[in-house]
Amino acid sequence: MGKVKRVLSDCYLALIILFMYAPIFTLVVLSFNEGRSRAQWSGFSLHWYEEMLANDTIMAALRNTLVIALISAFLATVLGTMAAIAISNMHSVSRNIIMSITNIPMLNADIVTGISLMLSFIAFGISLGFKTILISHITFNIPYVILSVLPKVRGSSKDTYEAALDLGATPMQAFWKVVLPEIMPGVTAGFMLAFTMSLDDFIITHFTRGAGIDTISTLVYSQVRKGISPALYALSTVIFVTVFIVLVIGNFAPDWIRKRKHAVKKIKYLRTLMVSVLAALSLGACGTTEKSIEAIPTKDENTLYVYNWGEYIDPDVIDQFEEETGINVVYDLFQTNEEMYPVIEAGGVLYDAVCPSDYMIKKMAQNGLLTELDKKNIPNLKEIGTDYLKMAEQYDPGNTYSVPYVWGTVGILYNKRMLDELGVPYPTSWKDLWNPKLKNEILMQDSVRDAFMVALKKNGYSCNTKNPAELDKAMNDLIAQKPLVQAYVVDQVRDKMIGEEAAVGVIYSGEILYIKGELEGTDVDVEYVIPKEGTNLWMDGWVIPKNARHKELAEKWINFLCRPDVAAKNFEYITYSTPNVGACALLDKSYLENKAVFPDTKELLKNSEFYDYMGKEVDRMYNDRWKTVKSS
Amino acid sequence: MEKSLIDLQGVSKSFDGQLVLDELNLSIKENSFVTLLGPSGCGKSTTLRIIGGFAKPDQGRVFFDGKDITDVPANKRQLNTVFQKYALFPNMNIAENIAFGLRIKKQSESYIRDKVNYALKLVNLEGMERRDVESLSGGQQQRVAIARAIVNEPKVLLLDEPLSALDRKLRQEMQYELIRLKNELGITFIYVTHDQEEAMTMSDVVVVMNQGYIQQMGTPQQIYNEPENAFVADFIGESNIVRGTMLEDKVVRIFGAVFHCVDSGFGTNTPVDVVIRPEDVELVDADDPRAILKGKMTYSIFKGEWYEMGIQTPDGYEWLVHSTENREPETEAGIYVKPYNIQIMNRPASEDEEAMSIEE
Repeated sequence: MGKVKRVLSDCYLALIILFMYAPIFTLVVLSFNEGRSRAQWSGFSLHWYEEMLANDTIMAALRNTLVIALISAFLATVLGTMAAIAISNMHSVSRNIIMSITNIPMLNADIVTGISLMLSFIAFGISLGFKTILISHITFNIPYVILSVLPKVRGSSKDTYEAALDLGATPMQAFWKVVLPEIMPGVTAGFMLAFTMSLDDFIITHFTRGAGIDTISTLVYSQVRKGISPALYALSTVIFVTVFIVLVIGNFAPDWIRKRKHAVKKIKYLRTLMVSVLAALSLGACGTTEKSIEAIPTKDENTLYVYNWGEYIDPDVIDQFEEETGINVVYDLFQTNEEMYPVIEAGGVLYDAVCPSDYMIKKMAQNGLLTELDKKNIPNLKEIGTDYLKMAEQYDPGNTYSVPYVWGTVGILYNKRMLDELGVPYPTSWKDLWNPKLKNEILMQDSVRDAFMVALKKNGYSCNTKNPAELDKAMNDLIAQKPLVQAYVVDQVRDKMIGEEAAVGVIYSGEILYIKGELEGTDVDVEYVIPKEGTNLWMDGWVIPKNARHKELAEKWINFLCRPDVAAKNFEYITYSTPNVGACALLDKSYLENKAVFPDTKELLKNSEFYDYMGKEVDRMYNDRWKTVKSS
Repeated sequence: MEKSLIDLQGVSKSFDGQLVLDELNLSIKENSFVTLLGPSGCGKSTTLRIIGGFAKPDQGRVFFDGKDITDVPANKRQLNTVFQKYALFPNMNIAENIAFGLRIKKQSESYIRDKVNYALKLVNLEGMERRDVESLSGGQQQRVAIARAIVNEPKVLLLDEPLSALDRKLRQEMQYELIRLKNELGITFIYVTHDQEEAMTMSDVVVVMNQGYIQQMGTPQQIYNEPENAFVADFIGESNIVRGTMLEDKVVRIFGAVFHCVDSGFGTNTPVDVVIRPEDVELVDADDPRAILKGKMTYSIFKGEWYEMGIQTPDGYEWLVHSTENREPETEAGIYVKPYNIQIMNRPASEDEEAMSIEE
């Protein structure tokens, strides 16, 4: 019996370590990786830590996170403790009612809390920013504080309070000298809980934040599209280690203190510990806080509000724009089109220039959210290649609302040596992904539209088809392909290809320059091809929302980004294809020769398409078949 | 013991619509040891809380030394309380607990040190100043609670069932300690308990309470020997309480047999309650001429100094008897009671009336 228990507890420990600590360990290791890759260890280095410290965005986000966590946890602790004391003195009926009411926000989905807070801020005309995040964090933290303080209040006898009064203390003296020390463990726990909840929170922060302010969690999320910078691994490591140390001290220090039998000192010690941890954190946070607080939008007529994808601009370009024009830029990030849309629609923050994707531009234009561009204010529009403008007409007829910024394709990346070994010719067609010799060698995108695009294009159909028969054919092809597919993956294609884990993968063209860079100096040779049947195109463009307050500034911004030298600089930073022909003349020849980045546009225009938003009915047709594919 | 120090006048209090005290009048003399005795829910603790200032009466006034203190908050009253569960401050050591009231009053540190040492000596805890209160036994904690109250030199010490959490032996020790303390300090003790033995041992005056009313107030001897109603008789010690009829002055009929007693003034043929303590029931042989009632012994338990026995009379009532002389169960015996050991009480029509009957 004892042996069985031992084995079980060992298993439990092993599982804990495997599932909870192995990922953290991986992150810590990667933060010391010389290279950027998640798949390859290229040597020990501290340069991500240097980059983290040098990166203003990360440091500002860190400061915001800590300042918000500290202030909100502190205020929530004060309010929550007062509430807990009041609640514990209520009649049981009203106490139960109040407790249910305070518990609801905790059980409520964060997204509901976040959206409703955002809506009420907008309804009351409070501009979203630092203070709205703070208010929201205080709001969602209070129930946690109440929950951890209330049992202590109820557990501590009311007698000690009365005893203090009996001995001549005023109610306030009784509270500070007797009640508070007694419930202090609960108050401390409540504070710590609130602090970590605030540090952790993403969803509510995301909805209640305003222009130009980020916390760590929203910053990380904004980088998901372009790949998270290892500097953030470094930051996460620092945070983890800090929390770990605080926990260790918190767990072992009281034992040590108890051994010394100085009970009175215990609480004083804990208090000192807490104060010093807080002081250290706030010092770190306040060191240069002015910068983050300053990011609160000013009402300045000379300020431009930009809303863009994460890592979608060279930070120098923003500085250069501000210098040249004297316009302030408040620069804000979104992560998905779907997330950006309601912000623009609700007008929580009034942005002047936004950079959505093709189908989203179409939807926003249809719903009247966009302003027609005044092309004479954007003379640099002439630098955009006509083929690209023609492409863009697929979603924005007449190029009325948008100016193409970045674009790309979906294609096949293949490893030459591995294919040679398998005796498989280099792919030129989607059909080549059905070659039985590629058993377990193919990486497919784990997204319904991308997977079906491959199968539909293989058969010569449109990737926006609404024809059930064509979709059925595509579905059966995907099922037939499954034995060849090593995995459906989201964004690991590049790492797996770099690590030579698979011979071919379906991938976005934007990844190619990054992969090539990583493989420089190695003997791994990969190539990107756009299959001859055509593919999916995507294109992000600048638009001006109807509710923009600074239309002229926005046009200046767009015009600036179209300037060849600026576009070239941006290209080198983003490494996604640019539609700016003027910029191409300034770029290194090697880029232009790369067919992945600058494919033959004439060819593409023949049979490649943007995704179209097709409505719920058609969505369901795709999704149902996708489920069948995944489960077969 | 001449002047009245605390006066409650017409004090009523209810919680959630439940009347706990009903127009209570109580006068407590200076330097007395007064015990409020009664079953739980009788209102004794509420009375103490009203005196201490922790509860406000709905009606009536509280006087202290002639001054109306009804609206004076607890921290401004010249009395201190020893709480039922000690209510020591867990974040302070013994000395800090005791010094709490003096520190609040901003006394000098040297004064505080002297006072704390004196109080510790008084409760036999010398040398334990630095100990953590959580490391103390129940009895020691109780001593700290007492010391913490008395360093403030209150005129009145309120004690709310202070010994109820202690074991029997410790409780008895502490009873003697409290009597000694009261004599040394020369102040008034108001003591709340549901334990009649405690009340009898320590008090100068016992106030028996039930259902928000004072049932009887008097010395322990009075309360025991002359209970004024069935409640007091039943609550204080063990009793045989039986129904009887007062045939005329000094003659009462119980279960068809005629007993002589010393009470008069109940009229003729009046239904009454008769209280006879078990030690006053004398057992004689069945054929003894003194036997007034006859019955059969039901059980006998040896109790050390005496035997506790039962005897059932033909009407079905089982009498409780305490005697040093044993009689075997199943044997016949007679019952005799001396006239002055029979206590006659009016029989109330209902419980409520029973409670009221004492108030006049």
